Amino acid sequence: MPTLALDPLDIARLESMSVRARVIVEGAFAGLHQNPHAGASVEFSEHKEYAPGDDIRRIDWKAVGRIDRYYLKRFEDETEMRTFLLLDSSASMGYGRKGPTKLAYASYLAAALAYLLAQQGDPAGLLVFDADTRQYLPPRTRGGHIRDLLVALDAVYPAGRTEPGRALAYVAELADRRSLIVLFSDLLDAPVDLGDRLRQLRSRGHDVALFQILDPDEVALPFDEVSDFEAMEPDDARRLLVDPRDLAASFERESAALRERWRRTCLEARVEYQFATTADPPAEVLRAFLFARQRARR
Amino acid sequence: MHFLAPSLLLGLLAAALPFLIHRIGRRRARPIRFAAMELLLRAEHEVSARRRLRDALLLLARTGLAMALPLAFARPFAEVRSDLPAETGRSQSAVVVLDDSASMRRHAKEGGTPFDVARAKAREVIEHLSPDSEIALVLASEGSTAPIPELASDRARVLAALDATACSARRADFAATLRRATQILTSSTRADRLIYLATDLQAAGWDNVTPATGAGAPQVVVLDASGGAAWTNRAIVALSAEPAPEEGAQGIAVVAEIANYSSEPVHLLGVTLAIDGAAVARGFVDLPANGRARKRFVLTTAGGSAHEAEVAIDKDAFPLDDRRACLVEASRGLRVLIVDGDPRTVRTEDETFFLEAALRAGGSGFSVTSTLPDDLGGRDLSAFGAIFLCNVNRPTPPVAAALVHYVETGGGLFISVGDRVDTDGWNQSLKAILPQPLGLKRSASALPGARAEGETVDLRPAERLAPIDRRHPLLSAFPARGDGLSSARFFEYLLLSPLPDAPGRQIVLRYESGAPALVEAEVGRGRVLLLTTTVDREWTDLPIRPGFLPLVQEAARYLAGAPSGEAAAAVAVGQKREIPLEPDDRRIEVVPPTGESRWLTPPARSSDARTRRALTFAETDEPGFYRVRAARGDGTISERPDAAFVVNLDPRESDPARLPDDKRPDRATATATAGAAPRRRLELWHALGAVAIALVLMESLLTLRFRRGRVKA
Repeated sequence: MPTLALDPLDIARLESMSVRARVIVEGAFAGLHQNPHAGASVEFSEHKEYAPGDDIRRIDWKAVGRIDRYYLKRFEDETEMRTFLLLDSSASMGYGRKGPTKLAYASYLAAALAYLLAQQGDPAGLLVFDADTRQYLPPRTRGGHIRDLLVALDAVYPAGRTEPGRALAYVAELADRRSLIVLFSDLLDAPVDLGDRLRQLRSRGHDVALFQILDPDEVALPFDEVSDFEAMEPDDARRLLVDPRDLAASFERESAALRERWRRTCLEARVEYQFATTADPPAEVLRAFLFARQRARR
Repeated sequence: MHFLAPSLLLGLLAAALPFLIHRIGRRRARPIRFAAMELLLRAEHEVSARRRLRDALLLLARTGLAMALPLAFARPFAEVRSDLPAETGRSQSAVVVLDDSASMRRHAKEGGTPFDVARAKAREVIEHLSPDSEIALVLASEGSTAPIPELASDRARVLAALDATACSARRADFAATLRRATQILTSSTRADRLIYLATDLQAAGWDNVTPATGAGAPQVVVLDASGGAAWTNRAIVALSAEPAPEEGAQGIAVVAEIANYSSEPVHLLGVTLAIDGAAVARGFVDLPANGRARKRFVLTTAGGSAHEAEVAIDKDAFPLDDRRACLVEASRGLRVLIVDGDPRTVRTEDETFFLEAALRAGGSGFSVTSTLPDDLGGRDLSAFGAIFLCNVNRPTPPVAAALVHYVETGGGLFISVGDRVDTDGWNQSLKAILPQPLGLKRSASALPGARAEGETVDLRPAERLAPIDRRHPLLSAFPARGDGLSSARFFEYLLLSPLPDAPGRQIVLRYESGAPALVEAEVGRGRVLLLTTTVDREWTDLPIRPGFLPLVQEAARYLAGAPSGEAAAAVAVGQKREIPLEPDDRRIEVVPPTGESRWLTPPARSSDARTRRALTFAETDEPGFYRVRAARGDGTISERPDAAFVVNLDPRESDPARLPDDKRPDRATATATAGAAPRRRLELWHALGAVAIALVLMESLLTLRFRRGRVKA
């Protein structure tokens, strides 16, 4: 399928987060026959004249009979669906050797989602965390909120250790009604009880999605000379002087096992799991996520 | 340890290179801040044990290689104590003499033979002589061919020739061998000329050795292969066959002489007699310490040709002399044929009356057959041990030829003369076998001496016999004064034409006048006795004298026994054997004990009468029976039992006596070689080279395995 999805390096070259978000969203929906701009979770609000590419199932046939013109029904939320975007900004998310860092990549995806939600009129909030909550923008629909959110994403930087469990607990307190909670993290040092947190959120009726973002170097070791590896997170003094060629096979197995473990954890908790490397086009990742949600809804 | 090029040991510093490279590599490691440290540490934990082992082995291999190469290039060597003489270290011309005599084939207590030890010592000397030395290789056995007869620099060729040598069964002849070695060294211009003698120092073989002395004489170095221990031995040193009258005409005695070369007596040593390969008798004998004993086997054999007799004793460490062989011809041993040349109707007047009576006398064991000259042509003369021709006129040509062949092939012929003898005819037809040509008849002119008591009166002039010589085997049974013969009177006798002295011909009895009465000649393998008077009373009264009976019986035994036993048909190992040719023989095949036939062809035309009559066979290298066959002119091949012979070990090789130290040829130079224990250089760089190659292989294997593991990954 031909797409206009740009690769992460091209995305990074764009001047602002708002542009990046729009480009990603446009890329994600380019070539699609459906117009997903109208959400399925809203009540009728107005008519829109039919344009090629619109879902013909939404044509208001009564209006056609009345005025002999094709109009689509548009809906608005019966109950407002709020979205919390949780972004892991720990030091480990700052790794990126050839492409954007994992944090930058996660920011692109979060920005694109926020932009998309804003287009739909859904309130989206942002929680940037490491070991603690670093920044929180509550979900709103007012004009200018999306701009604040994109600016905040543009300004995020990697630092500190990661505690995704605490961030999820914090969001659980904030989300007093059914919400969509999206977590962006590499999950490299995440504790195993994170699965319990995810299950708790689901049990409260929240819709939860998890994006695991890894650098390609963390999938397969590319180094070919003796290297002195050192941990990135503060207070972690672990070092390893080794010829990475000796470890390549074993490392690849360990990395695959890690991803498989989180996939299973999410499956058991009925949490949507998306894996991406920073070499994948963000639009592709976003589209895969939206398709998966659409399938799940049907 | 020493080094030929110690300066190259500086290269050992390179041994630190692998470790330094390893350390520098770690220091220059690129620092990488990496997020997935947990994954990295888990992966490291999984492979760390295997990787550390591999790294250690690689470091070991590379360090070892870096050390082995400069060490090897420095040419290390060690000096070790050596059994080799110190002389081997010098540049020299050397003759290596290898003792390959029969005694070197005995089994040593520690296994192997002294020959093996001697050859190993010779090899060691050759290998360690300085590279520019010249070497010749000579064998010490009598009549042997030198493998390398001239000084050669090609070490590999000398070693190959040494490896190809085999121990012979011949006797040692060090006198000739040392002369030959000295002769070879005369062609050398070097100052150092040595003879290395690898031997067991058995005293036999050192007869007539006169060590060369003087300024230019080569130095002799003995490589003692005996191990220094004395050895003991039991051996059959002689074997003979003789008639055994007590067993009748077919009786024969095989007598073995057994020696004990030991200070301990031997009791009940088993002795076995085999005839034609089948054991027929076994007995036991006690041997005194350092003494000898005889074992006599008496047996009766069927008539026919010669039989192969072999006597063996229980085996010891030197089995080669534990058996000995001979050929026996029992069939004709005591069969006598009398040819009566002057038969008479009155028995007592018959020419052979007294002779036949004497040979048939009770207990003699002779089987006597009488015939007339005309009947002689149709008889198989080879069946008789002795033939008495008595007053025969003249043999016809066929009879003469048969008689010549009979004698030459080992028969015994007794000729007596008389009035009927045609001397000219005899001299022509039997010239080949007559001890001396017959001459004129002579009548005694003088009266005999004083009449002996009780003798028959005969008034004719007569002569008596001169005093006898009892050293002759024929006369050894007579008293010292010749009683029984001295009383005989001889009225007439034939004179013999004079001949120059010839080996094998001798006068056994003489008349008082000095004329020959009984003459013996060895002809071919046989013997002839010529009595110049009659065997009846016509020319002499000898037949009625007491000495007549023992004289003719001894003569019959002497003639019949002549060709039998070891003496006539045996040679020592290495000696040449003459094989008589018959007129129709085209080729001669000799089958030695090994079964590998040798063919001999007589020269087509030869001016040498001897080569027309006999061929010489020289390959008598193994003890045992040698059979002979002849290819005839008509294409047939027939056995020649008369030419068969036996090869036996020289009994001197059985004597384990060791050469006294004062007769050793190396004693004159012993003081020069005494002193510091000889040492030899042991090169070590070969081993280091092998270690380096092994380390390279090890390093390559480890690296290859390592890379393969990465590719799979």
